[in-house]
Amino acid sequence: MLSGAAACLAMPGLLRAQNTPPRVATLDWAFLETLMAIGANVVAATELRQFRQVAVKPDVSAGTADLGLRGTPNFEVLQFARPDLIFNSNFYAWADPLMALIAPVESHAIYKPGESPYPLAEQAMLAMGRRLQLDHARRFVDELSGRLDRYKTFLANGDGRPVLPINLGDARHYRVFGSDSMFGEVLKRLGLQNAWQGATSYSAMAPVGIETLASMPDAWIIFIPPHPQDAFDALTQSAFWKALPAVRDNRVLTIGSINPYGALPAASRFADFLAEGFARVRNG
Amino acid sequence: MSGTADAFIHLRRPSMPVFYAAAFGAACVIAFILLLALRPHIPADPATAEMLDRILLWNSLAPRAVIALVAGAALGLAGALLQRVLRNPIADASTLGIASGAELALTLGLTFSPVLMGASREVVAFAGGFAAVAIVLALSWRRGLDPVTVAISGMIVSLIAASLSVTLVLSRGEYAMSIHIWGAGALSQQDWSGVLSLSPRLLIGAIAALLLMRPLNMLALDDSSARSLGVALQATRFGILLLAVWLSASVTATVGIIGFLGLAAPAAARLCGARTTGEIMFTAPLTGAALLFLADCLTQILGPGFSDLAPTGAATALLGGPLLLALLPRVHGFSPVTAASEAILRQIRKPATVLILLAILFAFAFIATLVIGPTDHGWSAATGPLFFDLLPFRLPRILAAGGAGAMLAASGFIMQRVTGNPIASPEVLGVSTGGGAGLTVALFLFGFPSPPVMLASMALGALAAFMVVIAVSGRAGLVAERLLLAGIAITAFSMAIISMVLAQGDMRSFVLLTWISGSTNRAGNFEALTAMIALVVLAAPVFGMGRWLSILPLGATVSKSLGLGVAASRLLLATIAALMTAIASFLVGPLSLTGLIAPHLARLIGFQQPRHQLAAAMLIGAGVLMAADWLSRVIIYPYQVPVGLFAALIGGPYLLWLLGRKA
Repeated sequence: MLSGAAACLAMPGLLRAQNTPPRVATLDWAFLETLMAIGANVVAATELRQFRQVAVKPDVSAGTADLGLRGTPNFEVLQFARPDLIFNSNFYAWADPLMALIAPVESHAIYKPGESPYPLAEQAMLAMGRRLQLDHARRFVDELSGRLDRYKTFLANGDGRPVLPINLGDARHYRVFGSDSMFGEVLKRLGLQNAWQGATSYSAMAPVGIETLASMPDAWIIFIPPHPQDAFDALTQSAFWKALPAVRDNRVLTIGSINPYGALPAASRFADFLAEGFARVRNG
Repeated sequence: MSGTADAFIHLRRPSMPVFYAAAFGAACVIAFILLLALRPHIPADPATAEMLDRILLWNSLAPRAVIALVAGAALGLAGALLQRVLRNPIADASTLGIASGAELALTLGLTFSPVLMGASREVVAFAGGFAAVAIVLALSWRRGLDPVTVAISGMIVSLIAASLSVTLVLSRGEYAMSIHIWGAGALSQQDWSGVLSLSPRLLIGAIAALLLMRPLNMLALDDSSARSLGVALQATRFGILLLAVWLSASVTATVGIIGFLGLAAPAAARLCGARTTGEIMFTAPLTGAALLFLADCLTQILGPGFSDLAPTGAATALLGGPLLLALLPRVHGFSPVTAASEAILRQIRKPATVLILLAILFAFAFIATLVIGPTDHGWSAATGPLFFDLLPFRLPRILAAGGAGAMLAASGFIMQRVTGNPIASPEVLGVSTGGGAGLTVALFLFGFPSPPVMLASMALGALAAFMVVIAVSGRAGLVAERLLLAGIAITAFSMAIISMVLAQGDMRSFVLLTWISGSTNRAGNFEALTAMIALVVLAAPVFGMGRWLSILPLGATVSKSLGLGVAASRLLLATIAALMTAIASFLVGPLSLTGLIAPHLARLIGFQQPRHQLAAAMLIGAGVLMAADWLSRVIIYPYQVPVGLFAALIGGPYLLWLLGRKA
């Protein structure tokens, strides 16, 4: 916060030139979707091809420069994009000194060990909104929190069963999203219980054997793509799968693809998918 | 080819082989009973719990136990066949690159066609495994499939294949998560399909081995005796090889890489008292089955709840390193390679002039890589303000790449001189991957370590790996082939540690993946300064050690008679080489093969004196990595290819050519 304020003072040009919105860039997908959601002028971001497939929404504008892989962003391209301000996350902190040569870097964190990502994502969005003087940030945060409340009321009339959000890796393994993940956080806000009570490492992922599905007989199973189609087919055709109570009672939902390390837009997408899925089930 | 009989392990025949068999059997039964007794309970009403428990028992736990036995037996048989047919006690699907080749082929398959299942999956795995083993054998063909050469070629092919797989995984982003898990050989099953597909293959393999028993017996003899007994030698060997590759690739296609089981099973069979070909062919599958079964039970019992402690295949890979070390005294190269066998192509008369020419070329390369590149308006030579805009990004990575290249060249040069073996290089001695193991430990201790911490942990890991290699091979007076094999063992062990963390699929594995693929993209002032300071501090003293470097390749006896403290000078030189390797691998990843090719090119140009050779090798090494770095950032602009991988793809074919040449 302080560093942001200091950067503001040090960079009067950014605030003065309000006729053209400041050009911003980021390496982190969570920030990319946050910035696009609040209507910032994003001139460069990483791995856009993959982003369009995994995160899907919001739409990346054609004018945004692709910086290449998240692990190896191309700083020369970033330089050519002439950003006024770069938002960086703790995960890419190593790039701070290099990017500081191009434009002022502001750091936020959404995923920290042992901390819940949702409030951090809200803080990050609000801070970016303030920094870029985009009122939409506050509206987005309030609207989403209101929407989650509405969904909560709606889902309160459901069957009260716990929900297991998973991403299938291969026919025998999945990643589970525990209570400290963004999906787990959304479940909490929707008044749903996360079926996964076990240990998770770093933002809630761990490859888990498929047999563990039997240990949560009450749960709804929520598939979050992208997953390999052959793995999905092999799993859903297996005798084990067909014998699971959740499968026999039709308590399986496959929703749309979401970035598992996302920010509020990912949370919003997940909540919408869940509400829509449960509404469809309830209406038969 | 002589001296093959002693290439096999001869231990004292135990009085009661039956006792070992019984002990193995009892251990398996006890482990399975424990597994059944300790398996987690399902939180549900009694009726549902019982139904689910039955499903788990019959559709998950039982097929998993059976597939462990079947896969273990298949790998044990494949290992025994490979060891016999290649007359190499350390041949196995892991050391020959079959498993990594199959994995790479499947990764490629998944990248280009997302739906890859059933039979096609197995065909792809077989093609990959066969291609890898073909390359490895082609590499060592001229040296009569000498075990040491085979093992080194196998390791390099494995490393390149693994690094290519990693690059593909990285470029696919999240999608290829299954490959991490699957690549580490997790055995969990959800039905009997894996068992049903693998069992007939094991049966066919066993029957074929039975039919081939006579030729297999003959192969224990040397070639001329075998031929005189009427065995169509090459055809038989090829047939057996195909059978073994097919068995290993089938296992890889079904459950992933089960590291080093094919090495462990025949060794355990011999420990149990198996001596004749028939005994080993019969016992190795049994011990293989028992070993994998035990390992799998242990990971399940020790893991929390329903989760495994580690993927079984990664856990068995931990056995690989120690096993190779234990087998080390039994391995004898029969085509020893020394620097003298390296043909002197020509000798240049004025080395100083040629060195200056090289330096000028190097300077041109330096300026070209600094200035030329694609911009948002297409290609351009950066001048004026643009040059100074780009300088902070281009200069550090060029310095890091160049410095790493020079250091790798210097350490490769030292290793080749010290061991007297022209294929010694930092990758081969396990020092680079030892650094990776150090990095892995740092990731566990610190979460997100800072670059200095990463560098320090890698240096510690590299030194530790190197000390183990020295300690193990030191007893035999640092004999070249011992040193190389110990290096391979350390590489196997370090890679097992790394792949266990990779299998976690979390943020830490992302850091490791980025390191393995080797990129200079992150280089900033810290990296550039590290490269330059390390280069001056570590490489400069080597120029003062010219006498050692000209005497040591002549062998320990000559060196001693010339009054050189062999052990001490080797130790000092090798420590310098290890440190340079660690720092270079921090900068450009574990695999570049620059340390292999640069000293060679220097020799090929005709530099004879150690100092001239070293200077030329360093210039070439720096130039190669700078060029690779430049290519890596322009070839699929704005995306970037890892530079280490790029350099390895240049170095790999060179290695092929080098080893394929007549000695």
